[in-house]
Amino acid sequence: MAEQPLVVAALSPADPLGGADQAALEHTLRLAEALGGRSLAVTVGPAGAEEVLRQALACGVQRVLRIDGPAAADSDTTARALVAGLGLVPDLLLCGDRSSGRGTGATPAFLAARLGAAQALGLTELLLREGELTAVRRIDGRRREQLTVPLPAVCSVERGSARLRRAALPALLAARTAEIQVATVALPEPRQPVRLGPARPYRPRPLVLPAPVGTDPLARIRALTETDRPRTAARVITPAGPEAAVDELLGYLREHGYLAHLTREDDQC
Amino acid sequence: MTEPSYAGPVSASALLQQPPPARDFDVLVVGAGPAGSAAALAAARAGCSVALLERGPYPGSKNVYGGVVYGRILDELVPQWWEEMPVERWVTRRSTMVMTADQALTVDFRSQRWGTAPYNGATAHRSDLDGWLAGHAVAAGAVLVPATVATGLLRTTAGTVVGVRTDRPDGDLTAKVVIACDGVNSFLAKEAGLHPRQDNARHLTLGVKETLALPREVIEQRFGLTGRDGQDIEILGCTRGIPGGGFLYTNLESVSLGVVVGLPGLAAAKVRPEELLADLKAHPAIAPLVRGGRQVEYAAHLIPEGGYDHLPELAGDGLLVAGDAAGMCLAAGIWLEGVNFAIGAGMYAGRAAAAAIGAGDTSQAGLAGYRRALERSFVLADHRKLRKVPGLVLSERMQRQYPGLICDLAEGLFEVDNPRPKPGVWRLLRTAVRRHDISPRRLLADAITGMRAFG
Amino acid sequence: MTGQPGEDYREISFDDRMEGTEFRVSERAHITVDTEVCDSCTVRSCLHVCPAKLFVPRADGGILFNFEQCFECGACYQVCDAEGAITWTYPDGGLGVVFRKG
Ligand SMILES: Cc1cc2nc3c(=O)[nH]c(=O)nc-3n(C[C@H](O)[C@H](O)[C@H](O)COP(=O)(O)OP(=O)(O)OC[C@H]3O[C@@H](n4cnc5c(N)ncnc54)[C@H](O)[C@@H]3O)c2cc1C
Ligand code: SF4
Ligand code: SF4
Repeated sequence: MAEQPLVVAALSPADPLGGADQAALEHTLRLAEALGGRSLAVTVGPAGAEEVLRQALACGVQRVLRIDGPAAADSDTTARALVAGLGLVPDLLLCGDRSSGRGTGATPAFLAARLGAAQALGLTELLLREGELTAVRRIDGRRREQLTVPLPAVCSVERGSARLRRAALPALLAARTAEIQVATVALPEPRQPVRLGPARPYRPRPLVLPAPVGTDPLARIRALTETDRPRTAARVITPAGPEAAVDELLGYLREHGYLAHLTREDDQC
Repeated sequence: MTEPSYAGPVSASALLQQPPPARDFDVLVVGAGPAGSAAALAAARAGCSVALLERGPYPGSKNVYGGVVYGRILDELVPQWWEEMPVERWVTRRSTMVMTADQALTVDFRSQRWGTAPYNGATAHRSDLDGWLAGHAVAAGAVLVPATVATGLLRTTAGTVVGVRTDRPDGDLTAKVVIACDGVNSFLAKEAGLHPRQDNARHLTLGVKETLALPREVIEQRFGLTGRDGQDIEILGCTRGIPGGGFLYTNLESVSLGVVVGLPGLAAAKVRPEELLADLKAHPAIAPLVRGGRQVEYAAHLIPEGGYDHLPELAGDGLLVAGDAAGMCLAAGIWLEGVNFAIGAGMYAGRAAAAAIGAGDTSQAGLAGYRRALERSFVLADHRKLRKVPGLVLSERMQRQYPGLICDLAEGLFEVDNPRPKPGVWRLLRTAVRRHDISPRRLLADAITGMRAFG
Repeated sequence: MTGQPGEDYREISFDDRMEGTEFRVSERAHITVDTEVCDSCTVRSCLHVCPAKLFVPRADGGILFNFEQCFECGACYQVCDAEGAITWTYPDGGLGVVFRKG
């Protein structure tokens, strides 16, 4: 760890700050104090995104940085922009969990991967205890688990995990006119997102059956609906392993004429 | 650090031994309602540095009104305001309805002139309207400080107001003039001793309002409107005899239905406000208009209705009061106008503050131009002229007897009672006066008061 | 005007009525009521005037008060003339009721 560890809040550019981002900012301020380090708030967005940085300044972060970029980018692009704009690996980077701007909550994961940092996501508590960063997150069945997070790390916190302090009045007024540092980074062309076409109504695939022989209408109908055959009891298969189960199933389907268009080679996939 | 202080009826001023050597701002406006934003706008335009404090997260977030704003006064502040104000509908139909439990007489006036520039009244939501006006103040250079409560005045030991204390850390702000636009409860004006009497509740009414969503076409059909035209209905006689009235206004895709009742009367009648609303909603003249409306917001707010005779002092050393904080709302049954009065008062307060700062005298005497400007303008001229009207409209007779009298007269006139011949108006009046136990002397006196007030 | 209980317009419950209004609830109770003072109050105006119905009578005759869904209108402290019953303040900046229409 550097002399003065750097704690970064990566905020979504949407004004006003969402609840999760507010919590991330508060944790940033607390942990920078606890670590005796520096605090920085960054966001990726156009000039309008500076409003959230002013809020961060008013609440007491030491520095802010806007990385110029589109207002809404996908998680990976945002993460790339953040990494490039920061130009170094911070000791700790905090995000809101599923903040309004990035609904998937995937940005912190991309960030951790790109920074080569540890990650701990969706936290409900985060604090420094005996020099170690300890966190709590929810797991299934309403249980919670405790984590010890090594630095450098990327953490995302839930809204409500901390209540953002109120800005002092002088800081609030000063933040209004403070100069905001802007970084420009080369962003890859935004990838084409998967585009959705209109959904088509459900149409069952035709099942091609040979014309039944004979002239008796009833017999023909019974032949078509297969009610003329002796019924076999449903067979419950409990094969040894998945491989065997697949063989069983495919064999059964092929036997009943469903997989006529598949060759044996397709089976081997 | 001092103990945290809060804004309330017992909030106290912080006393400074020495006047602060420098001030943070020329003018400090408390409250970003229509009065405050107009004050900040006028002062900033006159070259002052201005801060505009608002306790809500955004301007309008704490504010409630019926829904009609008369924008003429804005001509002076925002030329062509109608091209940019966030309007729901332009009022082209103004109706006054007088009702009893099963009767209603409506005087319905329509003017298509009000549906084109420069317009007359408009319906608008406060969250839109207040934000829009505050935006103009900011564009003129004022500094908007939201989510910040002014918890008390900063005063010198001599009593001069030199700023306010807020609920933020290090929250003291100093200024040469403080303009209190903090609305009907105005703790700041009370703290400064500008409101002489303590029996405030007597001059307060409580307004409750439902915003009911309805499709645009349904509103147009039911209210007989096209395009952006709107209707404004003021209602008398819908409050079970409790002094007050009701209203029904059309927005673009919702209607606002409310009742306004005197606080002492409400308490004495032991009726809850939403029961009055439920009555109104079920009245045969109203029910078909609002049926099926989905409630999107319920809101309540106090209204000052003391009128001219109960105005507080409007200026102190370093302090001005404007809008509802000074009781400048015209709330008397068929009138519910406060926003226009607030904007007017705020504008004159902002200008008076700037003039006093320019002249280097912000004492009460130096700020006296404010009251003079108000008296010359509609703000106090209308209040002066209508000073007897709140008392009349909220009187027992107007609330309990006259609606029945008026409706019975109309019923008698329009009812065809063959084979009996039609009754004369005088006979009808005599019967109705007797039936409602009205003193003819009082009726005549009230008629004269009314005529004088409006003449 | 008489409306019979049970007519459909009355059926909107008070909770439904309040549902559309947003409240950013503070940790600090901005209004507190000294219910001991209320015990000896006979007028009980607050029960009728509080538009948010935050004062409710208790079975034992006392008063129960809850600050959370308050319009911050001021009606309660204005009608209550019992010394010391209601301690009334605005919530901290940014908290409390948030009207979206108003
Ligand atoms: C039910 C009802 C219906 C009405 N109908 C109409 C109508 O149809 N047309 C019309 O013209 N008028 C109407 N009025 C009247 C109108 O709403 C008021 O007269 C008008 O809003 C007054 O404006 P103002 O700026 O003086 O006060 P407000 O609009 O009350 O603004 C005061 C502002 O100060 C802020 N504030 C208060 N204290 C502090 C503090 N300590 N620190 C920081 N900020 C503070 C508040 O949050 C608020 O934003 C109605 C009123 C009611 C209640
Ligand atoms: S709050 Fe006031 S009016 Fe209400 S019960 Fe208590 S003392 Fe009485
Ligand atoms: S301020 Fe208004 S809403 Fe709040 S408790 Fe008092 S009367 Fe009820």
